[in-house]
Formats: sequence, C-alpha cells, structure tokens
Amino acid sequence: MEEIIHNSNKLHSFLKKMIIESLKLEEISVAEIDDDAPLFKEGLGLDSIDALELVVAIEKNFNVIIEDEDVGKEAFGSIRILAKFIQREYAETGKDTLSAAG
Amino acid sequence: MRWFEIEEKVRFNEVDEWGMVFYGNYMAWFELARVALLENFNLLPRQMIELGYMAPVVNLKCDYKRSARTGDRVIVRTTVLKPKIAALVFKFEILLKESRELLAKGQTTQVLLTTEHKMIYRLSGELEKRIARLLDYCNTEGLATVS
Repeated sequence: MEEIIHNSNKLHSFLKKMIIESLKLEEISVAEIDDDAPLFKEGLGLDSIDALELVVAIEKNFNVIIEDEDVGKEAFGSIRILAKFIQREYAETGKDTLSAAG
Repeated sequence: MRWFEIEEKVRFNEVDEWGMVFYGNYMAWFELARVALLENFNLLPRQMIELGYMAPVVNLKCDYKRSARTGDRVIVRTTVLKPKIAALVFKFEILLKESRELLAKGQTTQVLLTTEHKMIYRLSGELEKRIARLLDYCNTEGLATVS
C-alpha cells in the first residue's frame, strides 16, 4: 500500500478499481473513469449512499477518515483530488495507524 | 434478528375499488411500525432534531405478495439491519394476523443529516449511543416485545 500511495498513477488506478468494486459499477471500466471528472452528479453520477460506501472503503484501505459532507465535498471532487487528499491525510495520520495495525 | 411488531386493522378508507388495500398504504403501515420501534429508543424525529439530526429516507422498496381486505387484521413488523455504512436500513414485513401469511415485504434506507442539512459519514456522541441500543435490540435473537 505504501508504494501505491506514493505513486499517483498507481493510486489513481487503485481508486478507480476500488470505486468500481465497492459500488458494484460493473458496467464501467477503469479506462472510462476520467482522472478529473467529478465523482458525483454530472461525472460518475454517484449518490449519497455511494458516498457512505466510499468513505468505508477509503478508511479500510488507507485508514483515512472522512468525517462528513464538508470534507467529502472536497475529497470527492475527482479521482485526482481524492488521490491528493488521501496522500495528504495518510502522511499525517493513516501511516502510523496502518503500521501499528501490522 | 429480532422483529418488532404492531397490529393494525384494515379500514374501509384504506382499500381501493377492488376491495384490496391500496398499495401506497403499506408505506404508511411501515411508518407506524418504524415510529413505534424508534419510540423505545428515544429516536423519534423530534428527539433526533433535539440532538441536531434528521434521517430522511433515500431509498424504498416493497414487494407485494398478497392483498389484504377491509376488516383483516395485519401484523406489521420491522427490524434494523446491522449497518456497514452510516445509514439506517429498516426491513419490514406485513403478515395476515390469522394465518401469518406474508402480504408484503419492504425496506427503507435513511441517511443521517445534521439539522443544517449536512450529511454525516460517521456516528458520534448521543446519537451513536441511541442507535447502538436500537441495533443491539434488533440484532439479538428473541421474540418481539412491546415495551
């Protein structure tokens, strides 16, 4: 996971796969998700329940916590924005806890 | 999983021209059972507002198996599933009291908002405690009891 987090291209692919799997978007492929397209509404068209699913997937994979919609609105701007958010938060908090968890 | 039950009698004004309960009325019964359950855990809408939260329904589904008719006594039962996300998922079943035959089953999903309409992704504080008690009740084996 450490290697993926520090490599933006790998992290983008990982996040796209994570979104497809956790939201069961079988009709969408990784290649179809634009790095800069919004995840909600006009982009991938995700809804409020999808946001909750993504929050759980992000916490499970990166130990990065998204508390509420205010943080979510910023973090879920696009794949690129989400990747940067995870890299920043992971550097601050997630890394220690993930290492401690083994 | 533990069900919480209430009993209703089909009124004349609840049936359609074919003498069968109008399909929309099943949702009203779902709501009666939901409120009766939530009352036991201080999670009624006004009590949630006092804590600073609202829980709007964002998804509803219902499968109709058989129709009820005027005068029938029905059992409306509900339970809350253990959530993987910060949402409340209620399951509902409506049974004919006499035969326990299944008339309809449904499910609703509620997200949690602050009273300023901000969606929350994680539970905390008093709301978390009350919902935890509700989930403990619903996810313990046993017969339904009305307290």
